[in-house]
Amino acid sequence: MIETGRPEALLPLALFMAVMLGVSFFVRWQARTGEGGFLRQYFVGNRDLGGFVLAMTTVATYSSVSSFVGGPGMAWSVGFGWIYMAVVQVTAVFLVLGIFGKRVALLARKFGAVTVVDILRRRFRSDALAATAAFIIVLFFCATMTAQFVGGAKLFAAVTGYSYELGLVLFGLAVVVYTTIGGFRAVAITDALCAIMMMIGIVLLFFYVLEMGGGYGAIMDHIATNQPKMLEPFSGGAMPAGLYLTQWILVGICTIALPQSVVRGISYRDTKGLHRAMIIGTVVVGFMNIGVNFTGILAHGVLTGPAESYGGIDNIIPSTIATVMPPTLIGLAIVGPIAASISTISSLLLVGSSAIVKDVYLHYREKREKTTSDAALRRLSMAVTAILGAAVFLIALTPPSLIWLINMFAFGGLETAFFWTLLLGLFWRRANRLGAFLSMGGGTVVYCLAQGLGFKIMGLHQITIGISLSLILFLIGSYLGKPEPKEVLREFFPE
Amino acid sequence: MTEKEKYRQVCREAAATGIALLLLIAFWLLAGFGLSGSMATVFRLPIWAAASTVGVWIFAIVLVWGLTKWVFKDMDLEEDRHD
Repeated sequence: MIETGRPEALLPLALFMAVMLGVSFFVRWQARTGEGGFLRQYFVGNRDLGGFVLAMTTVATYSSVSSFVGGPGMAWSVGFGWIYMAVVQVTAVFLVLGIFGKRVALLARKFGAVTVVDILRRRFRSDALAATAAFIIVLFFCATMTAQFVGGAKLFAAVTGYSYELGLVLFGLAVVVYTTIGGFRAVAITDALCAIMMMIGIVLLFFYVLEMGGGYGAIMDHIATNQPKMLEPFSGGAMPAGLYLTQWILVGICTIALPQSVVRGISYRDTKGLHRAMIIGTVVVGFMNIGVNFTGILAHGVLTGPAESYGGIDNIIPSTIATVMPPTLIGLAIVGPIAASISTISSLLLVGSSAIVKDVYLHYREKREKTTSDAALRRLSMAVTAILGAAVFLIALTPPSLIWLINMFAFGGLETAFFWTLLLGLFWRRANRLGAFLSMGGGTVVYCLAQGLGFKIMGLHQITIGISLSLILFLIGSYLGKPEPKEVLREFFPE
Repeated sequence: MTEKEKYRQVCREAAATGIALLLLIAFWLLAGFGLSGSMATVFRLPIWAAASTVGVWIFAIVLVWGLTKWVFKDMDLEEDRHD
């Protein structure tokens, strides 16, 4: 196939990916002494992150390509109600780090844990629960990663004029390679670089949208005259109250239980860094969310037709980039959204790989009292990361048509499975194995069924069913079943 | 800090984070829906649109700064062998 696109649009992305690969080789070279053992090095970066990188990696992992494409497209269509809803994500960093940051850091050091599942296994003394958790993580992460690959490659194709496949090869293969080679520390540092590129991308686009749209005043006048509903919180019915409620649950409060966020609590060096990360992270996540969605609204200054004339809501941002950016900067403008995509993929890939290697395989070996050498662990961990990444990459080459539904479905599924299990498991003495098992298993199954059948209560997103039911099941199990033995409780709740 | 003291402090911090969340939700409700009837404008935006976006963001930053200054305490994360 002959590619006909804008060559200048490829260069910044290619350079950026080369830097990412460089970082990962450097990190690998730096870690050659193997201090702290391979697993700790590879899956939690030897617990050595400082505040800035911790903040940036948490934000970058959380912010996905849809924060950059679908979200601002909706803001363009709905107006300020969309930013009002999106701003609930300022909670995404301080809640998880404030509630779980120190709790998991202390427990992980006590037990030598490198994954969230390690801690759950210890708390509930259940291999079945740990295996279920690992299975849920791998399943939902694969769905999310595929959606990120597809979203990034579609944006690449729409803006540069090159093919979807070329985009996928350019950034998709690179992310799999740099994650495999560099492990957690490379993921954290590249995430920080990605977050910086996302912010630069937002500022660039904001600036050129204002310039091409005739200035802030002219654009706002245009909106007030032609789209007055965009200035109302309910947007003339496009933003129902129920949507605000479910977004608080889905992208606000319950995000504290996402395993890819919680594991960051195991990875930092000291509490000073954690405190700094909570502040920096809140500044950055708010800047990104408000900045990108506000830019989406201001794009009314340049895209004045109906959404259909640009190919639908998801094409609003690609069309805006292609319309307003000078040809020499188009390449730079797409690095931001692609960075959002790869920084999510890299973290999920690593946590998914740790679930297979550490939570399932290694535990199975240890139970049979078989030891595994560091060299064997190194080969195995890298192989699993590479294979998992390659599998998702191949699925993304011929993406299933319902991929976007699968992405949102996965988010709610992870929250249903882990929210109460982690929150009550780590802060409530009475929480027991039966409660955790019923909550994680039953809640997730019912959530999946409700999604599959399209069943909703009062028109609300199925996360409300999943999260309510998993709480009820947790309480029933905890009061019906026996409390955990005293020695376990003493480890988790020192008195 | 002994292990027990660390555990109590961590619980206090988690509870304070929860309270900060409730305060943020209250501010979010008042700044957005609460002000949506007002005709006042800031930077050509209806006041609710400014307060409920940039306002909520700034309020969240102040809250988190307050948490880390007054509630959160530094502690050694390594296990204390002397308690």
